Amino acid sequence: MSKPEASHRHKVGALLFRHETILLLVLLAEWFYFNAVGRKFGTLDNTFDIMRHSAEIGLLALVMTPIILTGGIDLSVGSLLGLCAILFGKLWRDAGLPLPLAAACTLLIGLLAGGLNAVLIARLRLPALIVTLGTYSLFRGFAEAITRGVDTFTNFPDSFLALGQQHFAGLPTQVWFFLAVAVGIWLLVHRTTFGRSLRAIGFAPEGARYAGLAVERRLAQAYILAGIVAALAAIIYTARLGQAKADAGTGYELFAITAVVLGGTSIFGGVGSVHGTLLGVAAIAVLNNGLVHARQPREMAGMLTGALLLAALSASALPKLLAKFRPLRHSAAPPSSP
Amino acid sequence: MAPLLQLSNVTKSFGAVRALRGVSFTLEPGEVHALLGENGAGKSTLIKVITGAHPLDDGEIQIGGQLITHLTPARARALGIACIYQQPALFPDLSVAENVALRLEKTSPVHGVRWAERQARAKELLHRIGAEIDPAAEVRTLSMPEQQLVEIACALGTGARVVIMDEPTASLTQKEQHLLFAVVRDLRSHGVGVIYISHRLEEIFALADRVTVLRDGQSVGTNPVDAINEAALIKMMVGREVSAIYPLAESAPGERVLSLTGVGCSTSGVHRIDLELRAGEILGLAGLVGAGRTELAQILFGLTPADAGEIRLGGQTIHIADPQSAVAQGIAYVPEDRRRHGVILEMPIAANVTMAIHSRLFPGTWLRDAAERALTLDFIRDLGVKAAGPQAPGGSLSGGNQQKIALARWLATKPRILILDEPTQGVDVGAKSEIYKTIRQLAADGLAVLMISSDLPEVLGMSDRLAVMRGGTIVAEFPRGADAHDVMAAALGQKKEAA
Amino acid sequence: MQKYGRELSVAMVLVALLLVLAVVAPAFYEPQPLLSRLAREAPTLVVACGVALVMVTRQIDISIGSVFALCGVCAGSLAAAGWPLVAVFGVTVLIGATLGAVNGALVAGLRLPSIVVTLATMVILREGLRWKQQGAFINLPDAWQWFGLSQRSGQITLIVCSVALLAVLAWASRNLAGGRFLYAVGSNAEAARLAGLRPQWVTLAVFVFMGALAAWAALLNIVQSPQVDPKSGTGLELKAIAAAVVGGVAVSGGRGNLWGVFVAVLLLACINPALTYLHVEAYWEKAIQGAVILLAVIFDGLRNRRQTT
Repeated sequence: MSKPEASHRHKVGALLFRHETILLLVLLAEWFYFNAVGRKFGTLDNTFDIMRHSAEIGLLALVMTPIILTGGIDLSVGSLLGLCAILFGKLWRDAGLPLPLAAACTLLIGLLAGGLNAVLIARLRLPALIVTLGTYSLFRGFAEAITRGVDTFTNFPDSFLALGQQHFAGLPTQVWFFLAVAVGIWLLVHRTTFGRSLRAIGFAPEGARYAGLAVERRLAQAYILAGIVAALAAIIYTARLGQAKADAGTGYELFAITAVVLGGTSIFGGVGSVHGTLLGVAAIAVLNNGLVHARQPREMAGMLTGALLLAALSASALPKLLAKFRPLRHSAAPPSSP
Repeated sequence: MAPLLQLSNVTKSFGAVRALRGVSFTLEPGEVHALLGENGAGKSTLIKVITGAHPLDDGEIQIGGQLITHLTPARARALGIACIYQQPALFPDLSVAENVALRLEKTSPVHGVRWAERQARAKELLHRIGAEIDPAAEVRTLSMPEQQLVEIACALGTGARVVIMDEPTASLTQKEQHLLFAVVRDLRSHGVGVIYISHRLEEIFALADRVTVLRDGQSVGTNPVDAINEAALIKMMVGREVSAIYPLAESAPGERVLSLTGVGCSTSGVHRIDLELRAGEILGLAGLVGAGRTELAQILFGLTPADAGEIRLGGQTIHIADPQSAVAQGIAYVPEDRRRHGVILEMPIAANVTMAIHSRLFPGTWLRDAAERALTLDFIRDLGVKAAGPQAPGGSLSGGNQQKIALARWLATKPRILILDEPTQGVDVGAKSEIYKTIRQLAADGLAVLMISSDLPEVLGMSDRLAVMRGGTIVAEFPRGADAHDVMAAALGQKKEAA
Repeated sequence: MQKYGRELSVAMVLVALLLVLAVVAPAFYEPQPLLSRLAREAPTLVVACGVALVMVTRQIDISIGSVFALCGVCAGSLAAAGWPLVAVFGVTVLIGATLGAVNGALVAGLRLPSIVVTLATMVILREGLRWKQQGAFINLPDAWQWFGLSQRSGQITLIVCSVALLAVLAWASRNLAGGRFLYAVGSNAEAARLAGLRPQWVTLAVFVFMGALAAWAALLNIVQSPQVDPKSGTGLELKAIAAAVVGGVAVSGGRGNLWGVFVAVLLLACINPALTYLHVEAYWEKAIQGAVILLAVIFDGLRNRRQTT
């Protein structure tokens, strides 16, 4: 039994790691290229810069991974970041709350907003795409309405700005938060029953229920977690930029989804990994930063990211397609039914 | 007259697996030709070759006397070959009439739609097969049996000369089965040839003219139905004598484990259920499709909780609010729809086995690989599962082995009550007998087993007690050794003859 | 009648809103501003029709805003270079159709999920356009304003054009075999394949069509102002999808009709001016749009729940 198992594991292993390996190679290729082309690219300072700029999107991508594993999606995380950012500012400036309390309240708001998604998607079983399209508009709309489109929150104390602009124990401060969340979500997805349940829900939404899994609860937890982490990202964003505006986080959900899918997680659910997402975030962040150093126009980053996403998807779709055109080589598995 | 279909020495392989090895098969006009064989014998491959879904590796295929090379699904359809699968390939959001029309009309996108004509044609076809289905109804609102009837109407409408039916009666009520048989006989009288795949030997004897048995990719023999008997057929299928397939209980049933009084669920139509389950006993649940047996199982498993009556477990009143609560109280349910609710094919076998015992095996939600692996290996050994290893994906298992892993998942919950919903549906005779032995052993180990089955001989042979449901409630109970006619009469609602 | 229950419900909400406006803010019905408002919605209607058909086939297209903007800029550039009207229209629609074909090829040919494909193409096109234009507006020749007609006639032409297009599409989706194929593919793509309907080609066709409609909408849009704004079309996909969803088109495919989308576009178009006339600030527009989407989806969900029990 061990021999077929070993070869099977080898096959499964080869498939599993193929996507991540390619992404790693892409990442290394980017690094070497930009190092050669840009003068200040490979410096430690710049690396810290990359980390700083990608912390928020990275957080969103991390928390998007469990959701996409269930076969769902959350288009509202970017808008929620914006809403939380200005509410954070408002709680501090207009309600006069001390910053730690304002931060705690913001996390709570993120939880409640995620809870709205959770109720509609997990409880009422409404389609995630449309629900989060609605909350995408709703959250951003609230942000715009509350600030009347113009209000900005600035003049935060330096002690707070240190979170986004200074270092702590050798790394930019926000990176520690990012790492904590990254480790936490990796463990959640890969080493707990929570993650196992999410995958089962992604592969077989009804079957998971029949298997006794608490489907509703797990889905709700995934969306609520997204809300909390989006709020955390909002606080970090505000600390980094030193200001909170209603348009904070615009377009972030798109980058988050790109990072997740780039990292090998299937949009249909079930298949995917958190380390893949981290590689995806890194690939995008390095690309964005490197293009600036290579003195390319700002828009090139977006275009190349989009192209990279399409390339990654096509690459993983090609083997299946080729299989169709070579029926003798790699046919469908022998029929397992009568 | 040339045979409708003639396969000579057909060979088809998938990689190293030789699914068909030199199979020859003919179908004459106006004949019902049954195709019999264990799972994996090659029946579905043969069908796929006939419908053009798989090209041949070797051999010849002649349709209507004409040699055909390069058969494709479109060409097969054009040549008059129609196949009705177990899972109807219909459009749930569209009306019955439109479903029929889309199958029958030409596939060019630029012609106008004539709704009145579509309606009329669907009405006519449905009428021909005696189905009372509104052509304007959305297919989504039809029951599975009704959907299958629509499929048959489509096949009729395409003017097929060869109609293949794959396990058509699997989910039909008695009345619908009679309709189906009438349709098949009608087709036959019009010179259409029917290839009929079924595991139900009594149907084959009732309907077919000839029967071909496949085993291990080869044709073991083709015989006229009235020149052969059941035992001989089974022997041909399995290659050995199979006898006494229903193992009996060795000892009397134990204590009462579960009792239901007046239980019902308004949304599923089940009402006034009074039932008792005892340890060590197999309680059979018979009835026609739609009688509410699966719905009762869903109440007991918490999928649709009861809103009337009382459920007592070991003397204590309990409430089963959801599947987790059912599992926590020792109730396990192996569902009927294996494709959607059974083994998750993309996940490893080990993950499937432990799917229902997360809180027990992984306290604190951390996964424990060693414990999971050990448990899985134990089950693989105890149930005789042929698998490459605990991490192999569920999809790498054959159908029968998937069923074993599905059972393993529920046995892992150490249930006191095990509900089996159609445990041998789609399973061939050889594997069935293994399953019966397993079920009896589980009962002997102290479980209370509730076995739902639409196979009358099976449910009569296996049950220590038998309950019959009709219209959402239990209408009769029988001890072991009941008469099949009495049971069927209760299921149909006919007055019982003097006992 | 029951079949059109959803469309009638939306129509009733629209009528209710219109009645409220008639009473509380009759200025809403002043002919010239009303006409302008309707004309400005004409492109949205065209795009909403397209995305509704895409959703019927169980796909989605969020790149329509970028395609719209790109086509507008292309048309504007050609017009500014002196090309004749018909040629500009032809080339622009061709460009839109080609962009749609790219989406369609990836979704239908490589079986990639449409949400991710159109997400990528949306970003690529948008950033590419921004790079090329750098925010520069394009000045249109005077003859292009309102097709060279007076403003009033031009507006009426636009409205009639878009509604006529809607009517034709609505008719075709109900009475043309190809239109029914969209519903079949969206309802059960595998059954469609078995029935010989070739779902991959149907999918490709609907994306090409979507691209062409986005181009057409862009043309209807640029004749309404003297300059082409390269940032037009921002948020258009959201408006269009919102209209489709509110109008009864299901994300899961196979259901919904274009008349419902028509009523929904009108409803959503009325909300913003209604807010203005009711003295609610315009900043609430996005929030209300989001709330409308959520309400529509919740309403649908509860109704389906009731039907199955």
